[in-house]
Parts: sequence; structure tokens; C-alpha cells
Amino acid sequence: MANKKDIIFKNVEKTFGKTKVIEHLDLHIREGERLILLGPSGCGKSTTLRMIAGLETISSGELVMEGKCVNDVPAGKRGVSMVFQNYALYPHMTVRDNICYALKAHKEEKEEIEKRLQMVLKIFGLETYVNRKPKELSGGQRQRVALARALVKRSPYLLLDEPLSNLDAQLRLQARKELVKVHQYYHQTFIYVTHDQVEAMTLGNRIALMREGKLMMLDTPYNVYHRPANVFTAKFIGSPATNIISAVWKNGLLHCGKYSLKLPDMWEKLIIASKETEFYLGIRPEHIHLHAGLSDNSLGGEVDYIEDYGNKMGIYFRMNGEEIISVDNTIPGSSGSSVSFTPDFRHIYIFEKKSENSIGYPPELDINISAQEKMMRDILSQGSQVKMGQDEVIHVHR
Amino acid sequence: MKTNQNLKTARPLHKRQIGWHLLMMLLVIIALVPVLFAFISSFKSMQELYNGSLLPSQITFDNYGEILSSLPIFKITLNTFIIAVTVTVFKVVTSTLAAYAFVFFDFKGKNVIYFFLICTIFIPFTVTMIPNYLTVSNLNLVDKIWGVVLPQLADASGIFLLRQTMKTVPRPLIEISHLDDISEMKILRNIIIPICRPAIISTGIIFFINSWNEYVWPTLILRSRENYTLSLAMQVFTDSEGGVEYTITLAMAVITMLLPLTLYLIFQKHIMSTFASSGIKG
Amino acid sequence: MKNIHKPAVSTSRPDRARKTGKFLRPYLFLFPAAAVLAIFMFYPLIYTIYLSFFDWNMVKPVKEFVGFANYINMFQDPNIQKILVNTFLYIFLLLIFNFVAPYIFSFILSFVIKKGKNFYRSSIFLPSVISLVAGTMIFVWILNPISGPAAKIMEAFGQKVPIWSTTQGLVIVVISIITSWKIFGYNFIVALSGVGSIPLEIIEAARVDNIPLHKIFLKIVVPMSSSTGIYVLILAIVQGMQQVFTPINMITQGGPDYGSSNLIYNVYNEAFGFYKTGSASAYAILMMLIFIFLLVLEFKYVEKGVYYEN
Repeated sequence: MANKKDIIFKNVEKTFGKTKVIEHLDLHIREGERLILLGPSGCGKSTTLRMIAGLETISSGELVMEGKCVNDVPAGKRGVSMVFQNYALYPHMTVRDNICYALKAHKEEKEEIEKRLQMVLKIFGLETYVNRKPKELSGGQRQRVALARALVKRSPYLLLDEPLSNLDAQLRLQARKELVKVHQYYHQTFIYVTHDQVEAMTLGNRIALMREGKLMMLDTPYNVYHRPANVFTAKFIGSPATNIISAVWKNGLLHCGKYSLKLPDMWEKLIIASKETEFYLGIRPEHIHLHAGLSDNSLGGEVDYIEDYGNKMGIYFRMNGEEIISVDNTIPGSSGSSVSFTPDFRHIYIFEKKSENSIGYPPELDINISAQEKMMRDILSQGSQVKMGQDEVIHVHR
Repeated sequence: MKTNQNLKTARPLHKRQIGWHLLMMLLVIIALVPVLFAFISSFKSMQELYNGSLLPSQITFDNYGEILSSLPIFKITLNTFIIAVTVTVFKVVTSTLAAYAFVFFDFKGKNVIYFFLICTIFIPFTVTMIPNYLTVSNLNLVDKIWGVVLPQLADASGIFLLRQTMKTVPRPLIEISHLDDISEMKILRNIIIPICRPAIISTGIIFFINSWNEYVWPTLILRSRENYTLSLAMQVFTDSEGGVEYTITLAMAVITMLLPLTLYLIFQKHIMSTFASSGIKG
Repeated sequence: MKNIHKPAVSTSRPDRARKTGKFLRPYLFLFPAAAVLAIFMFYPLIYTIYLSFFDWNMVKPVKEFVGFANYINMFQDPNIQKILVNTFLYIFLLLIFNFVAPYIFSFILSFVIKKGKNFYRSSIFLPSVISLVAGTMIFVWILNPISGPAAKIMEAFGQKVPIWSTTQGLVIVVISIITSWKIFGYNFIVALSGVGSIPLEIIEAARVDNIPLHKIFLKIVVPMSSSTGIYVLILAIVQGMQQVFTPINMITQGGPDYGSSNLIYNVYNEAFGFYKTGSASAYAILMMLIFIFLLVLEFKYVEKGVYYEN
């Protein structure tokens, strides 16, 4: 089951003084995958990354790499390379020296160094900049040098700490594609820290979503988005955030304030199995299609505010006094008018109010799907991918 | 209305700039004129110095000639130089190592040790003077330049200045080196020292100049003229009754000032910024 | 494909040995500096305290224990009062010249004057690199009461330069001025770094509100740069008192009749003039106690909370 180069956190804790930064972390990172550590600032994602790197000690529990507990193995002996948020390029060295410094310090053969250097220079299109110093490079170039420096080591693990956060939107898009390509090229284990959900969705094979030192969900981007395990995940992933509506199960109906819904059988079964009566109903803004007036089996309210995103419109309406957002390409009426919608029951989430955890998802959602939908899910379950020639692939570890 | 009023009050301030500049110029004059004066006077004859003309009517090198003939001035300059270089090298090396430890390591007693080392900046020399004299004397180093050098091989102010600088090196630079399994000595040599080079150079220059100008300690240790430093040689031309051969003494002052001033003019920018960094703490 | 991390996770040396090595490493880096400072700073400090309880002359084979006699004699010394008064007069003058003045001038240079800042800065700093021995000799000539340039200028106004080196009181003022000529620039630069780091907008906002300059200085600049201020204060006293030794020793040797002596010079005089190590040490400890008081001030206000704040 476990591969030799997997990284396994076993009940790991990290405390700084009296504050617990990481609580009981169990996390299994698979060899060769792109794992994203995602979460709001202060959630412990960077600390987790730095523990893997050996830059942060482990307060209790075990971190296993290559089948051994590495709690006491110093940073330099773990076979990791890293790209820092501000790149951490040596300011006094040229691009060439920055990339080759570690190899030279370890007395690697000259031809080998040169070969690896030329290769990364080619991958990142840095050939003409070899003799420049970091301050003579643009932000995007610096980021590529940092990545190149991490790659020449050919270590089995590549740690990336918000490497794209200092780039502008356009460069970021390009860099994402480059990173996926680099991963397919070298097949290292990528562990990537970010607070940007788009980066997480686009770059990860799996996403580990964290909050206040706890792992909230660990799954594929598809599942993290479409099958959130708890309220936090549903709200954190997706923009604007998922609408969370208080609901009570009574007499076979789901009551949301003055509205009530008759749920399909597949959801009813789950609700009854949960033995709870109080729930949260989660619906993403893009799954709310409003129309004027009130209709059967629907939720509704009064339009408050409308904004234009260009390609879509955001419609804010009040239901039972709470603000609900819908994103759609039609407007049901001007502000003040009454609107309603019938949820698409393939795209709702139901959480227990007490634990904020999902009651689960009906298996029917994965069975009764079209061939096209199935193909799409199969492709996406691999994470983002780039077309490459067969001969281009290098596996770092034998 | 309001902006009008602001303009009115702002203008007099600009006008008054001249007054402020005159005040600053006064400071500049006080700072520079004595130096200029010594330089000019060192080329005057005794007679001309006393009759008070501003510039010498005839430039004379007699004063310098007198120094050459009555003092082993080359030996004295060499002594001063050897002492200053040795002291500087040792102080810079020991300060760099210590500052590195204080910035990049976490260890037991760090704060306490730092506190104690920095305290030494404030120990007046009179407190250490007698025991240090005894130590140097027990080692038979009285009247030897190494006796001057010995107690000055480390300096807490260097640790302080370099720590201030090293604190500005981004931590990820060190972390990436640790990840690459670079040894501490290599990190210090290949990363920290090159990045902090300007501050290290100017700290060194400050040490050099201070040692070059040292007076108290050499006075206690050095006895014979061939072991003198320039500071001590200055008083040779003062007799026991306080009579001074001024032109020669001023020429001696010029010789003493020459090297520090040259270094200052070359490294001015570095020195300024390093000194300035000692003021803003934390 | 060779990997520089031959075994990606290696435990080449036994764990314990490596841990000890890692534990010792920072102390190895500290060792050279700490050793020198221990031998030539802390040991002498303790030895001086020890000597202050003995009667000795540096050559006698036996040191005679005398208890607090050196301290008692010190306070009964007919000159002690003069020496202490002189010491505080020096401190007062050094504070005016090297703490108050640099502070005010650094404000003027930072926020009042707009042009020529670099020129002023580097010119005013220049005497700091010059030997105080040279500076003293230059001033001895400039202020020579009979034929020096100052006398020539005063003569033109029908005035005379007093024979300051033998005039009680005046001699301290002149020696303080000579010392300040050298150390003013350094303190000025340090003060400038603190004052100059106050955001310009704050000063400009105050000016737009028509607040007079002296109020801006006292109500905004001084409170906002207080940590640098304390540092300059300490510098002015600690460095100043040590530097002042040079002109005293060169010009007056403490004279006339202890008129220019102070604690620092008197320690030297007792030790290397009279070879009385006991009484010299007692004076040194007294000086030290005054400095410790200032040190406490320094660490209370300046160093507080800035240790390893990351």
C-alpha cells in the first residue's frame, strides 16, 4: 500500500510555547503526487511544510519519510528541495551560481553540473540570463530561477511555499502551467502551500485543506469542490462562497424558515440515517437559478442588490433575513422584487448542524451520470495536465 | 481659504532656510577649519606661524624634515600600522563569528551571554587598566607592540554592529542552505559574509581608525621611541615645561591624520550607513 | 541520474554525536570573542574589585588586606569633592555638546533643511576619524593665549584670550570643547538615524497645522526617537568621559591643583603616578558604579523588547 517515498504524519503536534499550531495531524502524502496544503493564513499549512523540510521541529508524534522516522534528521539530509515565497535567491550570486551552488558545494562533477544547468535553463527559458544577478531580473524570472535551483538537485521531494503569490495574475497563470509540466517531467512529490483556492484546484492531485492546525479535508480537487466534507470546506472553496442555510427536518420536509422542501428519496435516506433533526443546507451560488414569484418546492426571498461581473451577474437576496447569493446570467427582476428557486438536488450539500460535517452524498450521484460526465470526471481526477512528448519524461527516483 | 493660509505659513519657513544653512555651515566650519589649519600650518616656518598670516608666503618642508631626522618615523608609522591591522583583523573575525552565532543559532543562555558581552562596551578602561597592565607585564610584553595588541583582540561593539546587519539577511537564505546541506562555515563564508560585506568592511575601517588613533593604552605599554605609535610621537615635540614646537607638532598631526582621512573619504558611504544602523535598534 | 542526496535520508553519524556537535556549534562560534572579553574585560573587572580591598604598589610581593580602608580614605581625600564636582561638570558639558546639540541639529538636518544634507553629514562626521591627540595639539595651538589664531582674532577686537589651561573652571570647559570636537560627529550621525526614521508625513502634518518648530521637536521628535535618544545620551557620557582623558593628560595632567581632574583621570594618576593600586581601584569602582546606573537606564529603555523579536 505505502510506497517507499511516501511522507506520513502520524499524530503529529507542533507547539510554539503554549500555542498549538498543529493538532493531531495524520496525513499520508503519496509518492509522486502533487499535494496542496491549502487554508487561510495561520492554519498551519506552512508549518506543516516546514516540518517536512526539517526547518521546524516536531513537538510530538512521528514524521515518516522513506520508511523511517525523520523527527531528528536535519534539514539537509531529508532529500528535499524548496521554493520560498520570496524565492530566497542569493543576492550576490548570478543565476548560474544560484542554480549550481548546492551542487558545487557537494563536489558534483563539473560536466554533470553543466548538463543539469543547461537542462533547467532550457525548461525555463533562462539561457540568456545566466550571468545576471537576481536584482536584474523581473519577478517572474526570479521565480523561475528559484524553481530551477530547486530542480537541479533532483531530490525526490519538492516543497513549494506560496511560490506564485508575488506574481501578477497573468504570470501566475503561465507559471501554473509550467509547474504542472515540470511535475510531469520530473515526477517528484510536490508539496505545495497556498492560500489561493484557484491554485489549489488547478495544481493539485489532492488538496489537504487545513484550519487552525487541523486537517479539514483531504481529497481530489473534484471532491473538495463537489463533495465538501464539512461546512468550512464548502465555504472556503469556491467564490463567492457556498450559501449555508439553517434547516430543520420535520414531518418528512426540510424546513428553511418559512420555506420547506420535499427532498428526493436519495437525500431522505441519508437524513434519516443521520438521526439528526437540525442541519445546514449548502448551495453554491452558481446552482441557484432564480425566477420571479414563488413556485412549488422552492426557496425564495427579496432581491437586495445586483452586481454585474461582466460574464455573469451576482444577485443578492434576503431569505428569512439572511443574505443568499446567486450567480447567474439572467436577472429575475429589479431589487425589491420577490424571487424564488428550486434547488438542483444533485448539487446540494447537507451538513449536521452540531458537528458541521456532511451527512454524506447519495451514491446515485455517481451512478446515474452520463458518459460524458464520467469521462470528464476521469480526466479531472488526475489533476491538471499538459501534453508532452513521451521522451520528455524523466523520473527523478529510480 | 485654508490652503491659502497654509501657503502663507509655509513660505517664511523656506525663506528662513538661509538662516538654518548658516547655522549648519558654522558647524561645518568648526569641524573642518582646524584640520585645514593644521595642514596649511605644517608647511609654514615657525616665524610665519607666529606672525599670523593665513597662507605661507613660502612653502617649507622643514617641519617634515625635522620629524624625519629626529624620530624613527617610518618605524613608528609601521608600528601603528601593524597594531591597527592586527587588532582590526582579530576584532572583525571574532565579531563576525559571534554575531553569526547570535543571529542564526538558538542556544541556551543566548540572551544572557549577549547581555554580558554588550556590557563590556560600557566598562570604562580605568576599571580594566591595572589588571591588564599586570597581565601584559607578566607576559613580558611591556614596551612591545604585541602588548598593545593583546587585550584588543575582540570588541563587543563589533558584535553589536554586525549583529544588526546580519539580522537583515532574510532567514530563507539560510534555510535554503540548510536544506542543501551546506555546512555552517560554508554558509558564513559563501552567503553571509558576501552579503554583509559593506558592513563588515566599514566595521573593520572603524576598528582600524580607532586603533590607529589609540592613545591611552599605548601610553601605558610603550616606552622607547622606536616602539612608539604615531599618537605617542606627537608629544615628543612638547618639552617638560609645556613649550611646544608647534609647526613640527602640526606636521606630526598631519601625518597622523592622513591615513584615517583617506580611508574615510573612500569608504564614507559605507561607514555612515553602518554607524547609522547602530542607532535604530530592533 | 545521480542524486546529490545519495541516500535521501541518511543517518551517517550516530545520532548522539551529531546532536552534541550541533549543541556545541554556537558556543564554538562565540568562543574567540567571549574568551578575549572574559580575559581582558571581566577578569580585570573582578580583579580591580579585589585590589580595591588591598594596599599594594604593583611590585611589592605581598598585598596587604585593608578592608574598606581604600574606600574610606577615598571619601576623606581632600580632593575628592573637587574631583566629583569636576566629574559632574564634565558630564554636564559633554551632555550639552554631545547629546542635546546633536539631537537638535539632527532634527534641523532631517526636517528643516532641504538641500545639502549629504555634505553637512559627511563634513560634520569628519573629525570623528581624526586622532584626538592630533586634535588636541591643533586646539592647543589655535587657543594659545599669546600667539594662537584665536588670540590674534581677539586682539583685533581689543580682547585677550585668558590663560585657560590654568584657570579653574574654564580649563574644564575648553577640554570638554576639544573632546566634543572629536565625538560630536559620531553622536550626530547616530541621533540622525533615529530622528531621520520618523516619517516625514508626521512632521509635515504638524507644519501644515502651523505648530512652531520647537514644539514639533519637543512634542513629536523627542518622544518618537526616544530609544535612539537614550542611546546617544549613554554614548555622550560613557565615550565622552573616556575620551576626555586624552586632552587632560596631554595639556594639564589634571592641573591646576586637580582643577581639571576627574574620576577617570584620577584613577590613572593614583595607579601610574603614585602606584597606589588600592586607592586607584576604589576610584575605578566608584566610576563603574556611576556607569552601571547609566547601563541600567540603557537596558531598561533601549534594549528592552528588541531581543530576537522574530
